[in-house]
Amino acid sequence: MPLSAMEIGTKHRIKGVTGNDAARKRLEALGFVEGMEVEIVNKVAGNLIVGVLGSRVAVCGALAARIMV
Amino acid sequence: MKIALAGNPNSGKTTLFNDLTGSSQYVGNWPGVTVEKKDGVLSGHKDVIIQDLPGIYSLSPYSLEEVVARNYLVNEKPDAILNIVDGSNLERNLYLTTQLLELGLPMIVAVNMIDIVRKNGDKIDLERLSKALGCPVIEISALKGEGTREAAELVLSVAGKGVKEDGPHVFSGSVEHALAHIEESLHGAVEKATSRWAAIKVFERDVKAIDMLNVPHDIIEHVEEHIKDCEKEMEDDAESIITTQRYEYIQRIIGSVFKRSLRRTSATLSDKIDRIVTHRILALPIFILSLCAMWWLAVAEGGPGTKLTDWANDGFLGDGWHLPFTAHECRADGLYKGMEFEDAKGEFAKQEASKSKWEEAYLEKINEGKPDGEKVEKMPEKIDEAIAKTIIAKGVFVEDEETGEPVAKEDNEDEPDLWDVDYAAYQKATEYEEPDPSAFGVWVPGIGALIGDGLEKLGVNDTVKSLVVDGAWGGVATVLGFVPIICLVFLFLSFLEDCGYMARVALIMDRIFRRFGLSGKSFIPMIVGKGCGVPAVMAARTIESERDRRMTIILATFIPCGAKTVIIAMFAAVFFRDMWYVAPLMDVIGIAIIVLGGIALKKSKAFAGEAAPFMMELPAYHMPTWRGVMIHTWNRVKGYMFKAGCIIFPACVLLWFVMHFDFKFNLLEDEQIAESMLATMGGWIAWLFAPLGFGTWQGAAASVSAEIAKEQATATLGLVAAGMDGASTAAHVSNLFASMSSFPKLAAMSFMVFNLFVPPCMVAIAVTFREMGSKAWGWFAVAFQLFVGYTLALSVYQLGMLIAGGGFGVWTAIAILVDLWCLWMIVRPGRSE
Repeated sequence: MPLSAMEIGTKHRIKGVTGNDAARKRLEALGFVEGMEVEIVNKVAGNLIVGVLGSRVAVCGALAARIMV
Repeated sequence: MKIALAGNPNSGKTTLFNDLTGSSQYVGNWPGVTVEKKDGVLSGHKDVIIQDLPGIYSLSPYSLEEVVARNYLVNEKPDAILNIVDGSNLERNLYLTTQLLELGLPMIVAVNMIDIVRKNGDKIDLERLSKALGCPVIEISALKGEGTREAAELVLSVAGKGVKEDGPHVFSGSVEHALAHIEESLHGAVEKATSRWAAIKVFERDVKAIDMLNVPHDIIEHVEEHIKDCEKEMEDDAESIITTQRYEYIQRIIGSVFKRSLRRTSATLSDKIDRIVTHRILALPIFILSLCAMWWLAVAEGGPGTKLTDWANDGFLGDGWHLPFTAHECRADGLYKGMEFEDAKGEFAKQEASKSKWEEAYLEKINEGKPDGEKVEKMPEKIDEAIAKTIIAKGVFVEDEETGEPVAKEDNEDEPDLWDVDYAAYQKATEYEEPDPSAFGVWVPGIGALIGDGLEKLGVNDTVKSLVVDGAWGGVATVLGFVPIICLVFLFLSFLEDCGYMARVALIMDRIFRRFGLSGKSFIPMIVGKGCGVPAVMAARTIESERDRRMTIILATFIPCGAKTVIIAMFAAVFFRDMWYVAPLMDVIGIAIIVLGGIALKKSKAFAGEAAPFMMELPAYHMPTWRGVMIHTWNRVKGYMFKAGCIIFPACVLLWFVMHFDFKFNLLEDEQIAESMLATMGGWIAWLFAPLGFGTWQGAAASVSAEIAKEQATATLGLVAAGMDGASTAAHVSNLFASMSSFPKLAAMSFMVFNLFVPPCMVAIAVTFREMGSKAWGWFAVAFQLFVGYTLALSVYQLGMLIAGGGFGVWTAIAILVDLWCLWMIVRPGRSE
């Protein structure tokens, strides 16, 4: 299931990030890698605030749809 | 000796840099504050240079700032790296640390924000961390200055020394095996110290790094087999294998060195604030409200900004002011006894008006029937009592609409305050003398008054006096008079940035920006642009996509900057006092241009396509330190005042020169200004501005001089309007626009939008050319901005006139046609990629 479809306040373990481009590398550098636990903190008009590695990262909906949990 | 400061964005690098070097660089609470590296000398060690690099998450460069940092570390090889990591966010920060360790440079790790770690009740085992990483580790708090000296000594102790060859074993067996193989193949092709880093880059197929290291092509081909094998085994691509295993390694270390406190609550205060300010409905209103609050603070009638500005203009820089709490009613016997200073000034103005009205009437009476040659022009010493007693003049006394200052006017349709002035009243009026301010409290003379008096006492030549008082000082004072507003705007922005709200604004704006093909990241340069266009254009470097970056550079300077704020403030004060919304409206128009311009540009071939996806770390909210906000504000205000001194001052002297001389270098009287060089030159291009409503040489001169620095427009207007009727600069400017157009408010609005939305000042244009990296793109940006500014001013004036009943002319038709064309550019179907 993509991360974008998850509810606010839920925690998930990442299975992988689809696609193979600069955006994916960037996501990975920010901690969105296989096995990482993330929490959905808030949603703002399709964009997500995700708790990852102890900090908050804003991710647009299109990217969140590529993060599989 | 060179020490590089490297670390994640927002990990406290710049704070540490300031602490170590004793400088006051700006520290922000959002990523991307440092876009260029900054050098400073370590205090107490003259031979040690500390270099602050832009904050980066990894050494695999995705954005320009990361390229800057990586190229520097790899090519210039500092003597040591001081890696600063945020102890309250250790897991994320160590990701970069593992990469830095591979560079083969001497390095220490400074675990920052140790005070927050302690407050949270967490524990970090430094000894174990040091062992695991294979480099010295020290705890510091850059903000409190704790441990920073020790960190500096520690990094000096390792600098220039060799590095242990076997770094931490980060990757799994098969990856390490492949890396060892690659390293072996690279032997001789790259330096020994960087061979591990090079091997990893080759493994990741990082083309930029391979090019930079000049790895021979045959080696790449040779090792490709090993990489492919590894990928097959791991069922992932090489780069992701590296990333994932790095994090796995970090999680293993964290498990053994980091003890999380049990008393941590799930929802932090930061999250609670975010729930409100990024709320799906409330987010936008909160942002707009904060913009309005800023403008109320700075330019609203009766707000703190206007009060301070009045003080700065009339008091500090003008005639003088009473020390606070010393002002009192006049206690000395005399005509003003019991009055406040302002009332006394009003009374004096009224009496002066009565006096001159009566004298006018008296002269008219005694000149009755006399031929032209014999008419008495001045009041005779001896007044004929018999005639005098028959004269009753009409005094007209009103408050000036714009300035609130008392002035006498002859024709005032708006409820004139008429009164009779008979001989007795006239005699009484002659007794009034200008009120002495020192009778009303402790009077501090203003700088303008001091300069005037000083020159008077020295008895200098009138021309020189005019040069100094009207030319040089007049222009500079106009600009300095706006320092209070600038201070307040910057103070407010600094606060919003430092507390962490600005990063959220980028997120909130993302959904809007995405509609016209930009991401929320483009909003940060625009917010920086509220302060100044130059750093705004440079801040665009944090945007990964080249296309988005170019578009952001073109659009960012449409947000009225600090200097343009001066123009807004002047026009708001002179023409739109009763329209509080005009100032924030200019911001809204700026945003609208960015949105609509973005949509139009996006439909062109060069910019077609989706915006780069948005992702950004949101720093935790924190209460900004007073010192931090002050440094930030002061740095910006300093830049503004420096400009007033170094650009506006010579520009004003030059301007005074071309205003007071004609082309034959004759010195002109004040009334002859229309024959001056400035008037002649302005006249050559004035026709360009005629359709905009300010097609006179004054309008042209002010608009052109605004390209030196935007606030110069106000200084020039002040100078060229000085010949107009009226008691103050505001009245002069008001009358100037009245002389230009029969719709002065429209002409003023048109002038204002023209100067706000044409290309920014020369400095910003130069930076635009540099950051665009190509002349063609630079020219495109300037042409685009010129078109937007002109069209907007044209529309405001022509369509405004049409509505106000000014009739339909050729230019009305042209304005409508151009607007329709713009509309078409915005709504036409876009290109598909």
